[in-house]
Amino acid sequence: MDEKLKNGLIGIVGAENYSEDLIDMVSYSYDASQHSARPLCVVWPQNAEQVSRLMVFANETHVPVIPRGAGTGLSGMAVPIKGGIVLDLSHMNKILMISIEDRLVIVEPGVVYANLEKGLAAYGFFFPPDPASGKVSTLGGNVATNAGGVKGAKYGTTRDYVLALQVVLPDGRVMRTGSRAMKSVSGYDLTRLFVGSEGTLGVVTEITLKINPRPTATSTASATFGNLEDAGRAVSQIMHSGIIPSVLEILGKETILAINKNTDLNLPEVEAMLLAETDGYTKGETEYQMAKVTEVFARNNALEIKQAKSDEEAINLWKARKSAYAVLARIKTHFVLEDVTVPMGKVADLLKGIEAISRKHDIQIATFGHAGDGNLHPQILYDGYNPEDVKKMEAASADLFALAISLHGTLTGEHGIGLSKAPFMTLEHDPAAMNVMRSLKRMFDPNNILNPGKMALDDAGGPASEPGIHG
Amino acid sequence: MEAKYDFERKYREQILQCSRCGFCQSVCPVYGATLRPALNARGKMLLLKEVMDGKIELGKELIDSLFQCTTCASCANNCPSGVNVPEIIKQVRKDMVNIGSCHPAFAGMNEVLQKSTNIYAEDELPDFDRKRDQKAAYVYFIGCVGAYREDEATEGALDLLDRLSVDYTLISEVCCSGVLEDVGYSLNPKLASQNLERIFATGAKTVITGCPYCYRTFTHRQEYDELRKRGITVLHISQFLKDLDFGVTTDKKVTYHDPCDLGRHCGIYEEPRATIRKIAPDFVEMQHHHADSLCCGAGGGVRGAYAKNSLAMARRRLKEAEDTGAEILLTECNSCVHNLANAKLRKQNIKIYNTTAFINELMTKKVRNK
Repeated sequence: MDEKLKNGLIGIVGAENYSEDLIDMVSYSYDASQHSARPLCVVWPQNAEQVSRLMVFANETHVPVIPRGAGTGLSGMAVPIKGGIVLDLSHMNKILMISIEDRLVIVEPGVVYANLEKGLAAYGFFFPPDPASGKVSTLGGNVATNAGGVKGAKYGTTRDYVLALQVVLPDGRVMRTGSRAMKSVSGYDLTRLFVGSEGTLGVVTEITLKINPRPTATSTASATFGNLEDAGRAVSQIMHSGIIPSVLEILGKETILAINKNTDLNLPEVEAMLLAETDGYTKGETEYQMAKVTEVFARNNALEIKQAKSDEEAINLWKARKSAYAVLARIKTHFVLEDVTVPMGKVADLLKGIEAISRKHDIQIATFGHAGDGNLHPQILYDGYNPEDVKKMEAASADLFALAISLHGTLTGEHGIGLSKAPFMTLEHDPAAMNVMRSLKRMFDPNNILNPGKMALDDAGGPASEPGIHG
Repeated sequence: MEAKYDFERKYREQILQCSRCGFCQSVCPVYGATLRPALNARGKMLLLKEVMDGKIELGKELIDSLFQCTTCASCANNCPSGVNVPEIIKQVRKDMVNIGSCHPAFAGMNEVLQKSTNIYAEDELPDFDRKRDQKAAYVYFIGCVGAYREDEATEGALDLLDRLSVDYTLISEVCCSGVLEDVGYSLNPKLASQNLERIFATGAKTVITGCPYCYRTFTHRQEYDELRKRGITVLHISQFLKDLDFGVTTDKKVTYHDPCDLGRHCGIYEEPRATIRKIAPDFVEMQHHHADSLCCGAGGGVRGAYAKNSLAMARRRLKEAEDTGAEILLTECNSCVHNLANAKLRKQNIKIYNTTAFINELMTKKVRNK
């Protein structure tokens, strides 16, 4: 470790907020993806001013800086693939303001999603985009990845709620974007440029979020299907039936089997299962909507349709759904969790295509996801210590991406590009779009110090970074 | 590649099952107090994965993570991937002791328990003005923390047993030594057989423990199998009290802290509450309770080895207790009482008791007011 660098960092954050200990370096090498790479050191800044000074220092010394929240990302965007300084923002975890009158909150980036939920519950409000990792994920991370969640179809993703940001630019300048107003067309939308930018353009140090009143009534139902296509068709029919369920999730058979291993829910072990929730302010309202949903279930050959009788029953179903991907880790020790997303009318095609890819490469793919917004989570299960298996996984991934793009969809609905999907960026974005993105990156970060190596931004053309290290 | 360590031989699959989802971070008390992910269960599993992959050595540099775990089991309880972290930690600590990479405080504890009869290396076991090693129906086993550090709590418990006219005796007890299993060593069979002999000599058919850890050791460890074989029942004091009537109540608001050793490790959640509800009509739960209870920070050798962080954990728990508006915080473990009381600031008015001592205080006041 370079003494000058170390002393410079300690001079800014203090010795107690700096570490190069092996235990920290190992833990900051990973996120929830299969990628890993060691940083040089970690700093825990306490405020925006320290972040600004850190960026000035890093920019002068040309050392990479990797902003990080809870490290629950699934595409390697917090993995320090070029080494450098991990900027763990979890100490900046204060809810600065809750203004029900203005329908907004102002938070520091390290606030955990669940803590904001708790804070808002007292007022009967909520912040709708709830990623499955919401118990741990930080709002800074949610903004950086434009996190979605199970309520996407009705309530959108993080992007739809960010009103304003305070951002530290790579050269240390502190910039404010947006306003506290509910709407604004004042200049370019810099706020949205930063949402989903994966920490490549600036470090978000303060977030102003729009919040919603929490609907007080919900109805929950599930339906089982003998094949994925019926379920897929039911999904698109529901979405044009005039009803928008607050949640519409799909679970494939492998996922159901894994959930049954982990819980005492005893889900029926069928080919596919749909879980739906409707929300509103009276039971009549939610039941009316649910009746429409179950009608569509029935029309599409549902084997069994069940309404949750109690809140507890419903809560358990959602808890099981949210643990799905981690539960699947019990089947194979390595997995890649994709989040390809297609237009609503193509959900059945995507499901069918995933099955075909699984057969073609002779590899297990468990599927679940947010059917209601066309965002599926095919989870490819493999043995990372077996080179043959790794090859199969990579080939299946590539086919999945090609399939999604051919259906007019996208590589990623909510997890982001990071390292995992960087080699596929040019599949989705034409040369002009790639060129504009790379120009933007160079304009904000001419020395390429902020989260370098991600999103295929580094190179002039072609696939940018190697798929990460597996195992 | 041949496994180098026992932790790998026993737990390789489980360690690889960790999907790195990070859900444990929301419940880990050490992470909660430090916000340092290397100390969370995920961080620990990553270290072990890199050891198995041959990327790092299982050496002294890993001590601050692997020895800084209270073994509270919150992570295991919340792990969707089914990783039993406390068992893995206990095993890897043994591996580290074998290769000479052990936290000095942990090594010290083992040394003490090879020479002394208690974890504090005290010479004399206090008798609390009572005769020991008598013939009786019950043995009351105090445990080290209650005997040597929390004497007020122990006096309260013993006075209560007297008021209830329980036919019990103390014994010349020695440390159950179960804690050694958590800190990289092994239960000391000599100490176990001393305890067994003295229990048998009383003719008692039931052992009541004041300490959840001793309860756990007596009921779960094979070195104490002889108790079961001879038909001797072991109860934690909270189980013994649950069906009794005390004839006292408090109008104060009361909350309850589940000790990890009693709750998550032994599944005893309702017995303490049954008793508390009888004496405290205004009983409230903290934000985290039952299986989700937050550790006081004392367990797994952390209080001795990492005092500052241990107290920070206790402060978080106390804050939760205060947030309920309760004036009284009850628990069932001397170690929890000890750590929570140490963490209490002067401006904090909440009072911390074991349930037994609190009931005894209520009964004493009632007698005085007559």
